[in-house]
Amino acid sequence: MTISELLSQYGDKYVEALLTTWQLTFISFAGAMIIGIIITVMRVCPVKPLRISGDIYVQIFRNIPGASLLIFLVYALPNLQVILSYYQCVLIATVLIPAAFASEYLMSGINAIGIGQIEAARSLGMDFGIMMRKVVIPQAVRFSILPMTNLLIATMLTTSLASQVPLNPKDLTGLVSYINTRDTGGVTSFLISAVMYCGTAVIIGQIGSYIDRKVRIVR
Amino acid sequence: MERNKDVLDKSLEIPVVELRHVEKYYGEMHALKDINLSVERGEVVVLIGPSGSGKSTLCRTINRLETIKSGEIRIEGKKLPEGGKELAELRTQIGMVFQSFNLFAHRTILDNVMMGPIDVLKRPEEEVKKEALELLKRVGVDSQADKFPAKLSGGQQQRAAIARSLAMHPKVMLFDEPTSALDPEMIQEVLDVMTELAHEGMTMIVVTHEMNFARRVADRVVFMADGSIIEEAAPDEFFTNPKSERAREFLDSINRH
Repeated sequence: MTISELLSQYGDKYVEALLTTWQLTFISFAGAMIIGIIITVMRVCPVKPLRISGDIYVQIFRNIPGASLLIFLVYALPNLQVILSYYQCVLIATVLIPAAFASEYLMSGINAIGIGQIEAARSLGMDFGIMMRKVVIPQAVRFSILPMTNLLIATMLTTSLASQVPLNPKDLTGLVSYINTRDTGGVTSFLISAVMYCGTAVIIGQIGSYIDRKVRIVR
Repeated sequence: MERNKDVLDKSLEIPVVELRHVEKYYGEMHALKDINLSVERGEVVVLIGPSGSGKSTLCRTINRLETIKSGEIRIEGKKLPEGGKELAELRTQIGMVFQSFNLFAHRTILDNVMMGPIDVLKRPEEEVKKEALELLKRVGVDSQADKFPAKLSGGQQQRAAIARSLAMHPKVMLFDEPTSALDPEMIQEVLDVMTELAHEGMTMIVVTHEMNFARRVADRVVFMADGSIIEEAAPDEFFTNPKSERAREFLDSINRH
């Protein structure tokens, strides 16, 4: 099939798939940021068991392949009497893994702050919570805008895991499988999805650099 | 030099800062050896000595940025807590000015001064802002209030850092080599602010290499070497007639250039 044939026949589905991919991406990324911040605060807090738990989280989810995690969620959890929808399984996988990376980027952001400001915060009488909220996390986030932009793109690509489970509506990769089992779209059907992934990535990249320029801390 | 303190009352008061038999180690290194020091209200104590003598370490133990192995540190008679809420609370009463300013890089100068009172002391924003602007005016950086720290010169940053500490209404101010990171032409503007503070009756402990400042402003000079306090004296006496061999050598080495 040519591109125009594909678009005329599956155009609506592509738009739907693009929106699904966007939705998965942004929900996953928001979840990953929240969990990433929590894990990071755990990793620098004064309570040793929490620090260790945070480190263990990162070691596990940074090193587990997304497909393995998804298979575990879909096939193993029901044996533990936990039955989740396919959509939930995909989301959990695409939140937990990027969260580990988000925490790593935030940690390097924290390291960039410098011990002096931490000492200044402590000498003003800030407790750990105030210091995190007012001094550490705001700066760590600013320092990690560019890596986080990359993480957002990586998260988008990770959502292609959704193609491995029956989902309706389908994501961009899932749609390609769907088309190619019904028609002979071949590489062309992939190409359309690829253009949509790339276009999204370019937009994310632009927004990321813009935000970075806006909030960058001059030193 | 007229000071806002009641000399008659002084002997009855408990010291603002008191260290007794303080010992500190960095691994094998004996960094502080049996330190005994007492600072009265309104007193300006200048710590001097060769680098590595432990004067900065001593200064930093007073708000527990450095822990100690044994001994006792009291702030207005109250033992310095080891951690937690009590330590944080006591730290609000101890101002600290660092060699490298350490302003919060992501907030404006005005925010830097306001954060302590608002976020830690939970005071109302309006009142704090008014006071912060007055403090910035007092140290001469009010025109920079809305700029970020990196836009200011070192001298301006350090004066803003002093204002940030003052905003907490501390009982004592610690200065850990406040002019050592500054270009020569900026040292004086910071020393001027510190001199003014001293004249207003602030209790100050100052680690510095500025001998002229020590001579003019200090009530007492504490000379340290190799982790011990070797000699304590009024500045005139110390600079003209040091008792210890170690202090004489130190002063000679400075006067040589």
